Amino acid sequence: MLTRRSMLRLASLAPPALTRRADAQTAGDAEWKKVIEAAKKEGKVSMYTGAVGSPAFPKIAAAFEAKYSVRLDVLEVRASELRERVRTEQTSGKVIGDVSHNGSTSTGLQLADGTFQPHGPLPNLKRPVAPFAADDMRVPIYVIPYGILVNTDLVKPADEPKSWKDLLHARWKGKILADDMRALGGGAVFFMVTYQKLGREFHDKLAEQQPHMNRELRGNYPRVARGEYSAYVPYTVPDILDLKGLPVKAIVPTEGCPYVRFDGAIYKNAPHPNAARLLVDFFLGDEVQLIYGNLGFVTVIGGLEAKIAPEARAFTQVKLLGTTDFKLQEEMLKTAKQIYK
Amino acid sequence: MATVEVVLPRREGIVRPALGRNIALALLIALLLFLTAYPMAMLLYGSLHTTPPGEAGTFNLDGYRAMLSRTNAIVLANTIGLSLIKTGLAMSLAIFLAWVIARTDTPGRDTLETLITLPFYIPPILTAMAWGMLAAPKGGLINLGWSALTGSREPLVNIYSYGGVVWHMMQYSTPFLFLLIVGAFRSMDPALEESSRMSGASGWTTFRRVTLGLMLPVTTSAFLLSFIRGVESFESALIFGTPAGIEVITTEIYHLIHHSNRPDYPQATALALGIMVLMFALVAWQWRLLGGRSFFTVTGKGYMPRVTRLGRWRWMTFAICVLFFVITVVLPVGQLVIGSFFKFFGFYKVSMLTTEHYQSVWQSRLIWRAFGNTLLLGLGGATATMMLGALIAYVLVRTRLRVRRTLEILAWLPWMMPGMVLGIGFLWAYAFMPGPIQLYGTLWALLVAYVALGTPLAVRTMSGAFSQLAFDLEECSRVHGAPWWTTFRRILLALAWPAFAVGWILIFFIILRELSASILLYSVGNEVLSVVVMRLWTEGKAGPVSVIALVMLGLVFLFRFAERRLVRTHLST
Repeated sequence: MLTRRSMLRLASLAPPALTRRADAQTAGDAEWKKVIEAAKKEGKVSMYTGAVGSPAFPKIAAAFEAKYSVRLDVLEVRASELRERVRTEQTSGKVIGDVSHNGSTSTGLQLADGTFQPHGPLPNLKRPVAPFAADDMRVPIYVIPYGILVNTDLVKPADEPKSWKDLLHARWKGKILADDMRALGGGAVFFMVTYQKLGREFHDKLAEQQPHMNRELRGNYPRVARGEYSAYVPYTVPDILDLKGLPVKAIVPTEGCPYVRFDGAIYKNAPHPNAARLLVDFFLGDEVQLIYGNLGFVTVIGGLEAKIAPEARAFTQVKLLGTTDFKLQEEMLKTAKQIYK
Repeated sequence: MATVEVVLPRREGIVRPALGRNIALALLIALLLFLTAYPMAMLLYGSLHTTPPGEAGTFNLDGYRAMLSRTNAIVLANTIGLSLIKTGLAMSLAIFLAWVIARTDTPGRDTLETLITLPFYIPPILTAMAWGMLAAPKGGLINLGWSALTGSREPLVNIYSYGGVVWHMMQYSTPFLFLLIVGAFRSMDPALEESSRMSGASGWTTFRRVTLGLMLPVTTSAFLLSFIRGVESFESALIFGTPAGIEVITTEIYHLIHHSNRPDYPQATALALGIMVLMFALVAWQWRLLGGRSFFTVTGKGYMPRVTRLGRWRWMTFAICVLFFVITVVLPVGQLVIGSFFKFFGFYKVSMLTTEHYQSVWQSRLIWRAFGNTLLLGLGGATATMMLGALIAYVLVRTRLRVRRTLEILAWLPWMMPGMVLGIGFLWAYAFMPGPIQLYGTLWALLVAYVALGTPLAVRTMSGAFSQLAFDLEECSRVHGAPWWTTFRRILLALAWPAFAVGWILIFFIILRELSASILLYSVGNEVLSVVVMRLWTEGKAGPVSVIALVMLGLVFLFRFAERRLVRTHLST
């Protein structure tokens, strides 16, 4: 119970505590200013990403350069090729890449390989909201949710799948196009999450629907739109913003969307370590989060809803079902190969 | 009956032993060792080591043991079967088309020659997209038309099949083989064929025993090049084969590298090296086939290739050439042209008409930078590769030096290794290169890789051409006091110019399309067109990709036109 005496005691203690925090803040600000100055002297930072062709990168590079006068070079390579490239750079000592921008599975694997160095204190480190959080090596950047794409000319509203399990209905046999679940990528994410959440039985039955699987990714959207297939899984939900005018619809199943989180991390022996820290912190700033939010991706910090474009806002708040665990990936790929022969 | 096989007299060739020659040879071997053997050595290491270069591990044969599985045997049989059928069909068609263009009075041959070669220059991913729309069993335009005409529910064609894979591969093989063969049809002294006819042989026998016989170095080389390329073909099998359960060696390697948590480099590289050994057996067969025989068709005498008068049949041959062009170019390229003016590829509504794809390409700094880099690498790479190829071919064909077999083996190496594995070899080789010169992360890394990749084709092209030149031409020049370099340049290269030009164009466009090595070696600022196209494609931007493909086709027309003008006005044999 608060008494007058205790309140007075607290009041007498408060000024020094507040002062200490303010002092620490000032010291932190001063340290960060030094990082910014050092980054400006480094002049540039190289980011390696597995998100090939993302429309976000030119915007992020422009915003980063405008804010800090530091050039951002983005190298876009498929995740598997990127891993070997980074491994070769690290083991040969010819390191060019500073910052990794990659899916959490690849990032987790590289973390286990000892590819990254701690990012140190960052002003925005505490901004991610649950279920997302940064650690000593990685910061979350954004999230890709996966749903179902259907052809609205072929699928009547009443027949639209509401749940993932609706795809097991006989009407979908031979009509599903899918990203290959036996390969790394969206298909593998979908497989692992739905296998864990809906059980093996779901996939045994989905395999009986004889989905046509390939790795053509966005090349598959027109095939559904043209009516070659009625549905495509797993569909990157925000991509629907680019398909206006086509007879297709993105569906978020009632169970929620399997998702993949993209992480940022600093490579060991990065040639531009200060600019790298600046960029990793920048990922958690409003500018980058709004860039991803306006493209319809799920953001990792709160309080931006009102600033996100109305057409994209709903996609940034979709229900999430679960994500991958890199430690289970190999086993899951083997299981997928057994089920989808 | 005319005989054309002459046993070469024992001779030491034209080149006399000299210090300068030995130094030049040593440099040539050192260069080839660096270009081809060094990346291969890195791959061999990768196949024998439990971990990739740079990581602690042990040597073992696990990769090779894993390679020897029943599944891989089936995959190998599939691969060889596909490539044999594809090469056989494409070769027959290419020989026919080359004969029509070079040795008959078919109307419009000059134009047809350029048109027939066009499919080679279209990026495979685009023709795959186009054929996917044309011949998909569900919703493909051909099948929709068939269904509307006949009421049948069964599709007429299915691109996702064994036949579909062969068909798509043939679209590249046929013009590729045609380009390699058509020059040999032209460089043939008609006296040899006339001798055959005068000795009582029929037209068909003369064609088979004399015409084709004399072209054996060119046709077997072309067959081998195409067959090996077929074994290493990737896009057609991945796009049309894998969804139908048809796996080949390259898709299996792709799965081992890209579809596992940790890439299985020991097995992937072991598989690639195993294939290389098999391909070498084929090359050895070719050496045995051609060994000790002469195929001179260009001598000091002047001549014009004999033209067969076809009468009314010339319109039939004309129609066949046009049909080939329509099916392999007009259908897919027509889709590219139309698709480039619509917002979404394959959705042709007036409301979706747009020029935004052209604007986006025009305004993209990245595309222009990549275009500049690619042109620089293409021009420099193709020229350097052809010069290197011509020098190696000279040693192989015009001398009896013992080292020539070593040179030939070294020159063949990159052609026998699937691109995606070789790309890793280049990455390892350049990143772990000792010494002060650093290639990794520079434009030079791409140039060196492209020269290595193009050298086998350059050597094959120039070897075929040089083997048709009689020694007297060279001897004549040397007797009149011309130094070796002048003779090489003014006599040999000048006479082999059509082959040099064709090889140059082929390599230029191979560089333009090369992705496997580029993706692992490019760095920011050093982007090339293939990497940018891959990015756009992954992003689902078929429109801008179509625009870039059309620009590339424009370049083909420009280069072919320039080459033909040059050959006609200055250097024609």
